[in-house]
Amino acid sequence: MDTQELIDRIKKIVEPDYVLSSEMDLTLYSYDASLERDRPEVVVLPSSTEEVSGVVALAYREKIPVVARGSGTNLSGGTIPTKGGIVVHFSRMNRILEIDIPNRTVTVEPGVITLDLQNHLLNQGLVYAPDPASQKVSTLGGNLGENSGGPHCLKYGVTTNHVLGAEVVLYDGTVVWTGGKSQDHPGYDLTGLLVGSEGTLGLVTKIILKILRAPEAIKTILALYDTIEDASNTVSAIIAEGIVPATLEMMDNLIMTAVEESIHAGYPLDAAAVLIIELDGMSDGMDRQARKILEVCKRHHVREIQLAKDDAERERLWAGRKGAFGAVARLRPSYMVCDGTVARTKLPQVLSRVLETGKKYGVLIGNVFHAGDGNLHPLILFDERDEAELERVRKAASEILKICADAGGTISGEHGIGVEKIKEMPLIFSDSDLEAMRQVKRAFDPEDILNPGKILPGTLGVPQNG
Amino acid sequence: MNIIQLRKLFYEEVAKCNKCGFCLPSCPLYYVQKVESASPRGMNAITRAVIEGRLKWSPEIERSIFSCLGCGACTVACFPSVKTREMVFQDRECLVHEGLYPKVVDRLASYIQENHNISDEDNEERGDWREFLKDLPENNLEKDHAEVIYFVGCVSSFFPMAQKIPANMARIMERCRVDFTILGGEEWCCGFPLIGAGVPENIKALMDHNLEKVKEVGAKKIVFTCPSCYHIWKTFYEPDVEILSSSELLQQLLLEHPVSLKEINATVTYHDPCDLGRNSGVFEPPREVLKAIPGIHLVELPNNRQLAMCCGGGGNLEMVDPELSGKVAQIKIEEILKTGADMVVSSCQQCLRTISTRARRQKIDLVVKDLTDLVAEAIPTL
Repeated sequence: MDTQELIDRIKKIVEPDYVLSSEMDLTLYSYDASLERDRPEVVVLPSSTEEVSGVVALAYREKIPVVARGSGTNLSGGTIPTKGGIVVHFSRMNRILEIDIPNRTVTVEPGVITLDLQNHLLNQGLVYAPDPASQKVSTLGGNLGENSGGPHCLKYGVTTNHVLGAEVVLYDGTVVWTGGKSQDHPGYDLTGLLVGSEGTLGLVTKIILKILRAPEAIKTILALYDTIEDASNTVSAIIAEGIVPATLEMMDNLIMTAVEESIHAGYPLDAAAVLIIELDGMSDGMDRQARKILEVCKRHHVREIQLAKDDAERERLWAGRKGAFGAVARLRPSYMVCDGTVARTKLPQVLSRVLETGKKYGVLIGNVFHAGDGNLHPLILFDERDEAELERVRKAASEILKICADAGGTISGEHGIGVEKIKEMPLIFSDSDLEAMRQVKRAFDPEDILNPGKILPGTLGVPQNG
Repeated sequence: MNIIQLRKLFYEEVAKCNKCGFCLPSCPLYYVQKVESASPRGMNAITRAVIEGRLKWSPEIERSIFSCLGCGACTVACFPSVKTREMVFQDRECLVHEGLYPKVVDRLASYIQENHNISDEDNEERGDWREFLKDLPENNLEKDHAEVIYFVGCVSSFFPMAQKIPANMARIMERCRVDFTILGGEEWCCGFPLIGAGVPENIKALMDHNLEKVKEVGAKKIVFTCPSCYHIWKTFYEPDVEILSSSELLQQLLLEHPVSLKEINATVTYHDPCDLGRNSGVFEPPREVLKAIPGIHLVELPNNRQLAMCCGGGGNLEMVDPELSGKVAQIKIEEILKTGADMVVSSCQQCLRTISTRARRQKIDLVVKDLTDLVAEAIPTL
């Protein structure tokens, strides 16, 4: 089927105004927040499960790739149509369908913005816990596809711990439900399989999420250190004490200096690292936990501690962390956020090797990350238009992932594999591991039309599209 | 403007866009249209692709670039503060150069060229709103010399729905014994609509004329009820006199001439006009004026000050695509209604027109007032 015929057929399924195929539109759906770029043949913005099903069924019959997309904020190229085909943009399917307070669930369409749901729930004293840094623009469908994390995932777990069920359009357009409102669903845990599958197993059209009561009290502590090692050791020691804070975030000197220059958060320029530790939950016992944390900090040579007395002070302590990306974005035109995870106890050695890698390739690297999870986010600063520098950045990023893998960690904490990290998959998975995953992919997508060319290295042994 | 000039001016700027998408939720146009081409990130990508030769100017790009409201909310949300609004205005110049632009641009440019205002009316009719002032004993608002010039602006001069604003502003200044004058037929369009339309070539003549008039009058201050005129005077004109928005002057007057204001028992919410608030930094004076009126209870919109959402009337969109402008106004109205306020007050004739026109057409019961309307109501002898 030629492209024009494809467009005409799709226009019979989805309102023609929402079927885009101009040169401009194809260029605008060729990117996400990563460095990857490739054009689709057509973009559709469906308004219902039936429309998604119709488009996928057509794509299956004609063996055309289908790539699901939320707000396009993902950082590993997961929504890049590397083999062309149809991009399905879910921005119109953005309704909160049901808030079931007695059962503590909410049912949403995939295009709902994460923060919109959170704000909506907070008005009723409820929370949806995963809080990716991009929550103000990321969609819940995208969060599901990438198994997104966020600062609060240290205590509450990542997206997969909050997805109870989903309505899914399968490879041939069939619509099925996986999971449901109950906490323990019989049969295969297909929901668990779908979360983090980056749109390679199906297109999710409704999601049932778990919601929680908002915490009664919050306590925020900022701790400054003269060495990264002391800060890192504090992180492990807090968890070893049996305390799991809601968040445990770290920033290094490069980030702090940039923050200081842009928003004057009050950080000393000669400090090596800062930790932001936040407790939440019942107010009873919180002071005792905070005191314990202060003791741990002191034991690890903390240089200065600030404790927020009220909401305004809490805002002030967070201002530097929240403004971190903004601050570094001013240093160079482009940045790449690496995403690897290691055991907390390995943080000091891994961080020092990350900084060495920056020196080796002559690129600027800052660290701002979820220290509690051991989830590193080395931020490489550069100019995308300088091809030589870009090449060095890609090499440094790949080496950083290898450092994480060598330290017994993984190559993704929350940003997915997409296109960017396919070549690093063998660092952490054996051939048989990868083959097991390929078998899952073949079972869900026998013609390899659902976001082909993502996650898995090598061929699937099915007819190739493109 | 051509691509080479555009590259020189904005390639470094557009290269700062990391495509993170954080601008998307701040953009009213994206909220309404839900397609990437309506988003600031999309407009940045268009500009960059054109500069890099990956995309050619086209009618689709024209539609996208001429739909931008120029509200500037994206830059506030953007980590490296990419100046998308400024880039879009330059893109428009390029598109005009290529012959790709809405026909209304020609009409607008010719009205301004021939009449020195944005309407089809003779510029001598600029002061017709004075008919609203028959109740004033002294009706001579055009003087040779005065301390303050009141620059009325095209919309308030020629569009009946907005003419109450200059009438009330004049009443308030009379009551507070401000030595002011209007320029009448000698007030020429400030030039802002030309910048927004991508045809800024003739702005110099307008500026020169207006600056000359300021000199002739010997004024020390110029006051504006139109935020766009105010913004353009502050950014481009650089006159040797004080530039004040109506809200700033009203704040000064209420401090200097403590009149006992009548009580107005109402809960109001304040809508920050983009060119007054975010684009010129005037946030507190209008709020202080509202708070000075006894009985007024101010409730803030969820998106206020830097985060305020455009009414839909920015960037010439109302001229280019009134239906789309109305859809943006609809979400503004919904935001206003959620506050539970009795009325929305703004400090801009364009916001007033856009919001009240949409409310009327959709049969939504909403009271929309300019700050000057409310102050005039509160001043006893007016």
